[in-house]
Amino acid sequence: MHAEAATRQRKAKRLASVALLLIAFLFSIWYIRFDWIAFVTGIPIFIRFLATDFFPPNLSSVSDYAKPVLDTLAFGIVATCFSALIGSAVGLMMARPTTPSGKVRVALRGIVSFLRNVPFLLWASLLVVLFGVGSLPGILALILFGSGFLARVYAESIEEIDPDTLEALDACGATYWQRLKHGVFPQFMPGFITWTLFMFELTIRASAVLGLVGAGGIGSKIKQTMDLFQYGKTATVITILIVMILAVELVTQKIRERLI
Amino acid sequence: MKIPISHRSTQRQQRLFFLGMLVLFIPCLFYLDLSYGQFASGLERIPDMARQMMHLSFEELPKMLRELLTSIIIAFLCVVLSVLISLLLAFVVARATTPNRYVSAALRAMIVIIRTIPTTIWVLLAVASMGFGPMAGVVGLLLPTIAFLIRVFSDQIDEAGRDTAEAIRSVGGTWWHVVCNGLLPTLLTGFLALIAFKFEITVAETVILGIVGAGGIGVLLQGYISFYEFAPLMLGMLLVFITLFLLEMGTNLIRTKLAGKGSK
Repeated sequence: MHAEAATRQRKAKRLASVALLLIAFLFSIWYIRFDWIAFVTGIPIFIRFLATDFFPPNLSSVSDYAKPVLDTLAFGIVATCFSALIGSAVGLMMARPTTPSGKVRVALRGIVSFLRNVPFLLWASLLVVLFGVGSLPGILALILFGSGFLARVYAESIEEIDPDTLEALDACGATYWQRLKHGVFPQFMPGFITWTLFMFELTIRASAVLGLVGAGGIGSKIKQTMDLFQYGKTATVITILIVMILAVELVTQKIRERLI
Repeated sequence: MKIPISHRSTQRQQRLFFLGMLVLFIPCLFYLDLSYGQFASGLERIPDMARQMMHLSFEELPKMLRELLTSIIIAFLCVVLSVLISLLLAFVVARATTPNRYVSAALRAMIVIIRTIPTTIWVLLAVASMGFGPMAGVVGLLLPTIAFLIRVFSDQIDEAGRDTAEAIRSVGGTWWHVVCNGLLPTLLTGFLALIAFKFEITVAETVILGIVGAGGIGVLLQGYISFYEFAPLMLGMLLVFITLFLLEMGTNLIRTKLAGKGSK
């Protein structure tokens, strides 16, 4: 009897959530005046656009793209190094076992959460306004975003390390630096390497969109060719981008396997 | 006397990693040729900008909230449609349940390509083909979202469903039996957590979609940036931050709740 009531309650709950979802769905369609006909006809238009305007890729000026590719890779490396440096300093101050004081920890968490939760492209376009067009705002945006991201994941992996080691070191009377050197760093290293490599992958992806707001990298070629309606060239750039991302992923994967 | 306690070769490889970073870093820094003057003059502009940002005005708040809702709705519609499509396709792609191995392999290759292209580029393409507006946002986001969901769904099916699928097939169940009666009910909780997670990411993405012209609050923010109106920009950034922060907390809550239910 009791079980039956519970089942009925669960069924009612499920029905209620489905109804809620349906209402939200209908409201959304009404709110943005979602046009089903435009949507259903839009998808074939989109696909035909991709199929006819982008193929075949225009390979006439492939050599022009060498510089943006190099730029993008250099962006990634420089930004990753800076972010790793800043991220580890902030991460150490943010992680529970290594923070100098609780207040610092809370304050940094707030700042890092703000950095991360405001979208990356917004930071980039803000920095373009501040520093002018060029590679500098792009790099700074990557560093800003990367430091926030790395600080968070570094802090998380520091918090995961075995507390017994730290306790033993404390019991021996180790200073803060000795504690870091012998207790934290050895265990933190694998996490550090994994996340730093991942950050490098992210920067390659991100520099693809940086160009859209005028911050250099291979994205600027995408925007440039699309603004001129040279979609064949856009297809070439996007293909290069895909190859680049896959290659970087492969390389970092290999390094990770070797090191960890 | 010192006793070495760390693993020698690990240590050597880690040193090599840092050395490699340094070796790559220095030439790249020179190659990029960043100008210090540009940096300094940019920094000089920060206090002025910060001062303007501090004048928070709430004049534009209703308009912003409306556009923010549009952004969230684009994400919502896109996730709902993607879930419907990817639920079906995930069972075709997953190795445990695929009706045809070659179809599965072909779809897998397509998913890799779709996922490699950043979402923003997809939306840019959609805007180029369909014109500005929320519709382009939904269509542009649809492909990457579907690809992501199929990937994670099919991973879960492969992880959990192999035995169930085999058991049902061995008593003569059809493909529909395997999918609808065997796998969907058990995997639904896990799927819900993934959907919540994807929704969170998609909202973050729709916010920036405006920058490439696909409706939502991003259009407003981009406008404020290009007209140097930093006071409403600050408000917009705060709104975005609060929304995304609440969403993150919400999805975390859902995840822990679902995880608790699953272990019971």
